[in-house]
Amino acid sequence: MSLSESTRVQAREIISRYPQARSALLPMLHLVQAEEGYVSADGIALCAEELSLTTAEVAAVATFYTMYHRKPAGEYHVGVCINPGCGILGGDAIWEKLSSRLGIGHDEVTPDGKISLERIECQAACTHAPVMTANWEFLDNMTPESAIDVVEKLVSGKEVMSTRGPRIRTFKENELTLAGFDDGLVDEGVQADEQMLAGLKRAKELGQSAPGVKK
Amino acid sequence: MTVTTQTVTVTVDGVVVEVPAGTLIIRVAEMLGTAIPRFCDHPLLDPVAACRMCLVEIEGQGKPQPSCAVTVSDGMVIKTQHTSEMAEKAQAGVMEFLLINHPLDCPICDKGGECPLQNQAMTNGQGETRFEGTKRTFPKPINVSAQVLLDRERCVSCARCTRFADQIAGDPFIELLERGAKQQVGTSEDQPFDSYFSGNTIQICPVGALTSAKYRFRSRPFDLISTPTACEHCASGCALRTDVRRSTVMRRLAWDAPEVNEEWNCDKGRFAFPYTSEGRLTHPLVRDEAGNLGPASWPEALRVAAAGLAGIGKSTAVLTGGRVTVEDAKAYASFAREVLGTNDVDFRARAVSNEETAFLANHVANKPMDVTYGDLEAAKSVLLVSFEPEDESPIVFLRLRKAALSGTTKVFAVAPYTSAGLAKMKGTLLAAGPREEVSVIASAASHLSGDSVILVGERAAQTPGALTAVAELAAKTGAKLAWIPRRAGDRGALDAGLLPIDGRNTSEIVSATGSAVKGLVIGGVSPEDVDGDLLSAIDKAQFVVSLETRHTEITAEADVVLPVAVVTEKAGTFRNWEGRDRSFAAVIPTPGALSDADVLGELARELGKSLSVSDFWASATKPALKADAASTESVGNGQAVLSTWRHLLDKGSLQSGEPYLAATARVAVVRVSPATAQKLNLVDGGTATVSCCGNSASAPLIVTAGMTDDVVWLPANSEGSSLNLPSGCVVEVSQGGN
Ligand code: SF4
Ligand code: SF4
Ligand code: FES
Ligand code: FES
Repeated sequence: MSLSESTRVQAREIISRYPQARSALLPMLHLVQAEEGYVSADGIALCAEELSLTTAEVAAVATFYTMYHRKPAGEYHVGVCINPGCGILGGDAIWEKLSSRLGIGHDEVTPDGKISLERIECQAACTHAPVMTANWEFLDNMTPESAIDVVEKLVSGKEVMSTRGPRIRTFKENELTLAGFDDGLVDEGVQADEQMLAGLKRAKELGQSAPGVKK
Repeated sequence: MTVTTQTVTVTVDGVVVEVPAGTLIIRVAEMLGTAIPRFCDHPLLDPVAACRMCLVEIEGQGKPQPSCAVTVSDGMVIKTQHTSEMAEKAQAGVMEFLLINHPLDCPICDKGGECPLQNQAMTNGQGETRFEGTKRTFPKPINVSAQVLLDRERCVSCARCTRFADQIAGDPFIELLERGAKQQVGTSEDQPFDSYFSGNTIQICPVGALTSAKYRFRSRPFDLISTPTACEHCASGCALRTDVRRSTVMRRLAWDAPEVNEEWNCDKGRFAFPYTSEGRLTHPLVRDEAGNLGPASWPEALRVAAAGLAGIGKSTAVLTGGRVTVEDAKAYASFAREVLGTNDVDFRARAVSNEETAFLANHVANKPMDVTYGDLEAAKSVLLVSFEPEDESPIVFLRLRKAALSGTTKVFAVAPYTSAGLAKMKGTLLAAGPREEVSVIASAASHLSGDSVILVGERAAQTPGALTAVAELAAKTGAKLAWIPRRAGDRGALDAGLLPIDGRNTSEIVSATGSAVKGLVIGGVSPEDVDGDLLSAIDKAQFVVSLETRHTEITAEADVVLPVAVVTEKAGTFRNWEGRDRSFAAVIPTPGALSDADVLGELARELGKSLSVSDFWASATKPALKADAASTESVGNGQAVLSTWRHLLDKGSLQSGEPYLAATARVAVVRVSPATAQKLNLVDGGTATVSCCGNSASAPLIVTAGMTDDVVWLPANSEGSSLNLPSGCVVEVSQGGN
């Protein structure tokens, strides 16, 4: 099935934002996922056509980055950080629990299409370890129990707030944001929390500043 | 003009040298005779530093640096593996990494014996691996095209093939997909590696990951006898290397010729050689009194041929075809004019005109080499007339593309639409169908100056007035002018005088056979190439002698058939479009194989004469160039003017016997402008039928924006189109077909 005309219009809008058309490819691939839930062959063809690239050139980019899915992601794409920081503090246990409860492994989707799981790398959020993400919004300081709880809420359609960010929307809705279309949620929810600002606060108390930075 | 290059002084392994600023370290080392191991580095591709094999130590820099991507700066002190433990260890480490997933199946790998990985593992590796895991494997192999196969587990991700496809050929249909340990070369499912130049990737792959269906598993490099040769297919003039095993050609490679093909060639030149051993004539044939063609001895065949020709002498015409070597061409010229006494001689096996005869005589024949590949690269602008370089002279295409991408040269093309090739050269279309060509040529002056080159193709003969307009344009603007024929022997034939000065041209010979022309001597000509019915002319001729390599429709009808050597069996010279001689040696010395020149010499002796080597053009009276009258045939309802040329990979007889190559040929499409589609009721994507004078072809229609109206384009004699008419014909175009 080919993509909708409105997606094509949006693709052209993205292209118009860049001096070099080819720079638009990354957001365009998110745009494709916003409609298809993954980077489909039709989506690759659309990008190739609009950017005068070959489909191989587009596929090279789409297969390089892990945020582009080769098959449909779940409505909620859930990531569990399994890098050492999070893994040791409970990430590994969360993964075990979620994976066995949902009956799916890495890069797999539940049969109802609701949840897909990914073992993700460090999100630079080790202060909040163990960390999970749902459609790339943060879920901090998780436990196996809170992980199950969040996933069950998502499955049953209850609203879940990110611990540091807006309410969690569907994978496709979020992909449109990643494609560069404003969802108006930029100020929703917690932004930088106390843990993140602790270091800064302490530095201020001690009158410290980065070398070379004039106050 | 003196060019001053800034130089810098650097030290490599303790040796102090002065080199041009901006030189890559690896090149400086080469100049000193130091080989730094490498995989991804290729002097004709942009540096990428993908394989990390070439690491060296640079004093003052903590980590080893890739010498293929770092340019020298003044005072730099570089230590290669020969003087730096750090470099040596880094290289051995990279080699160990590269071999982790490499299958080590050298004994069954085509590359084994000529493999940079094998060789450098010996010179710069450590002999032992510490890897104890399971190697990554792939189901083998994948077809990136019908001809090119990829064994992914052997790939070292050097990106030579993908950079070649993108930077040189302009066909980026292969790419590095995935990442990390999964990284692999691949195509996208819907677009195979569609490139006339795909074979080069096999040649530059530093491992056995890319192989050709043609050569895969056929032989080991150390069993081959290699001979430098010249390509017989087109007038680009590529240097090749032909590899033979037990008197059989196994493969052909592009060979180094920096001023011509650099290090590249096209797939036709690389793969189209099975014809040399297929359907060969092994002995002369003579027609007996009952009319049956049967084997004969050489003395008998020569005697019968001589007797037949002696009776008709001056009323004999000679058609040589465009595949003659310079040596054979001279023999034909002397045989025709001096032995037979006829001026009816023509090398052009295609649509011809007397305007073209005059143009070639005055502007091309025997001219010194004053337009070269180098000139194309240096020109400010290049105008293409009746010439589609990618299809008709692939190395000219590569050179123009290189010049255009470097920013020096702007390419303009007088053509009916922007072809894929023109787009890849970033060229500008000066839209013209056959009927608009002459006026568009005249108005192209604004794009040209004394620093320009006009390249006119052999198809200009199909447009009355085009060649006259081109000559006038060159005179007016001061642009240099070159003529680029399609076949490898055309220019040599022209210079030897195989042009009908004071005689009949190819078409006139065909139509006069049976009346004024009584006999024919025919070299390598395919009847379908000739504008006119050559086979019925042969039928009407009193006596026909055919000099051929293989059984053909013509040999079947001839009175005497004299077998001649193919290029692999003889030495000779092709003169390319520049006028540059491309000599080659016999790769399979074959006792008893006679070149055309040898046979003509014998025949002359039989006629009591001998061949001379006189310079025809020194005394020739050149006809004055004047435009032929333009066609006035009206274009009626349901009709359009045909524009056509052959795809590079077409149904030409020398491509026979190579199915993998044939499977990569572009398939025919029909093109018309949007307005013409509307006028003729044609639907984009539907099938359209083009027909004229009993000749017809159907192919998918592509409505092509920017195309000249009232023109229909379709490739001639190519996959999916057997249409074989010259441009300018008024043809019927209709929706539908089979
Ligand atoms: S296939 Fe060969 S040329 Fe291409 S990236 Fe792999 S090793 Fe390099
Ligand atoms: S470009 Fe022409 S000369 Fe070169 S290999 Fe191809 S056919 Fe032969
Ligand atoms: S290790 Fe999980 S966020 Fe850094
Ligand atoms: S040759 Fe230098 S990194 Fe590959």
